[in-house]
Amino acid sequence: METIRTIYDIFITTYPGFLEAVVITLQLTAISIVLGTILGLIFALMKISKSKILQGIANLYITLIRGTPLLVQIMFLYFGITQIIILDNFWAGAIALGIHNGAYIAEIFRGAIQGIDIGQTEASRALGMTNNQAMKRIVFPQALKRSIPPLGNQFIIALKDSSLVWMIGVAELFSVANRSAAASFKQFETFIVVGFYYLVLVMIFTYIVRWYENKLDVDKA
Amino acid sequence: MIIGKNIHKSFGDLEVLKGVDLHVQPQEVVVLVGVSGSGKSTLLRCFNFLEMINSGEITIDGHTINPKKENLAKVRAEVGMVFQHFNLFPHKNVLENVIEAPVTVKKMNKEEAKKLGMALLRKVGLEDKADVYPSKLSGGQKQRVAIARALAMEPKVMLFDEPTSALDPELVGEVLQVMKQLAEEGMTMVVVTHEMKFAKEVADRVIMIDQGKIIESADPKNFFENPQNERTKQFIQLVE
Repeated sequence: METIRTIYDIFITTYPGFLEAVVITLQLTAISIVLGTILGLIFALMKISKSKILQGIANLYITLIRGTPLLVQIMFLYFGITQIIILDNFWAGAIALGIHNGAYIAEIFRGAIQGIDIGQTEASRALGMTNNQAMKRIVFPQALKRSIPPLGNQFIIALKDSSLVWMIGVAELFSVANRSAAASFKQFETFIVVGFYYLVLVMIFTYIVRWYENKLDVDKA
Repeated sequence: MIIGKNIHKSFGDLEVLKGVDLHVQPQEVVVLVGVSGSGKSTLLRCFNFLEMINSGEITIDGHTINPKKENLAKVRAEVGMVFQHFNLFPHKNVLENVIEAPVTVKKMNKEEAKKLGMALLRKVGLEDKADVYPSKLSGGQKQRVAIARALAMEPKVMLFDEPTSALDPELVGEVLQVMKQLAEEGMTMVVVTHEMKFAKEVADRVIMIDQGKIIESADPKNFFENPQNERTKQFIQLVE
């Protein structure tokens, strides 16, 4: 009972600061998703291209990113890139998250594109389309639709992974919670509250993705 | 219209076409028959360069194609193809399927393309399905849409790769009917099929391919009633 009361009190007293932090978390997530999707698309196309060089570059990127912890990537980028260009910790974190997500999204797109029946490409080419036209007009739109469920999953991971940039001092949700917990000495209760925030955000994400999937299905059975 | 000279095609170590010569006249309907694996579908796919020949020469409408130099997309635009498994675009409705290539490849005005598309759908009897998605169509309807889609590019010749093999028996007739109508309108056609009735009724020439070679080529009457090659005789007995 006592604990529940404490949780409630913490919730009430921290929510102004936490909501501000939620905005930062959502900004980080949005930037990393957009950047990740763009990078993912570029590297997926490189990976399925006929050029061995492009394939090699894409493979190197995916191997490096998937083979090292996100935390290492964040630190590497923050301490590495900020020596060369002036970048605040928010943007360093957002870019690191974007690059990280790009590798996973590249694999999602590659799998979806290669999963489209070869007959679709053949029919397009038989009608006189170039390979680019066939990809843009016929194969990719179908692949994109198939990518939505795994992409939604990756977006949820991106949201939760954004908590790791607290390590470089970005005032996102986890970072603010961490500070608040240390100040109040109520670690257990505070992290229950912050867990609740993440849970609600993820549920909203899940709902949006499901709504979008259904919308696509209704339009084009 | 299409001239194939000494066409050789291998997949790895497997030689599928071993020197095929075929001359298809304008407005001629040629039916290719043979057991599966004989190379007839491969030959068809070589004619629109979905498969690249290893040696030989292909001439389309008086123009000998050099696959290395030529813009093959342009060549393919003039050769229509209908596939066994339809290969309709599932994310586009019937009319969008038909007008996709004229709009994308020929840069035809969309309104004009829609008019053309509707006219072609009327021709294959599917005018009322224009805004339906392919998943809602029967196999026979899908194949008729695929024919309309190929015709939308106003090809000089149409290739049919076992167009009725994936259909339920009761749906075969409607597709063959459309093909027959096309033939009567003077379309040059090369058809790979197991429908011997179609071959007898519609073909100007029936060609038997066996182990990568043409072993018999005759008008339908002679082909079916008076085959010269032993393998052709066996084949006809098998399918009749």
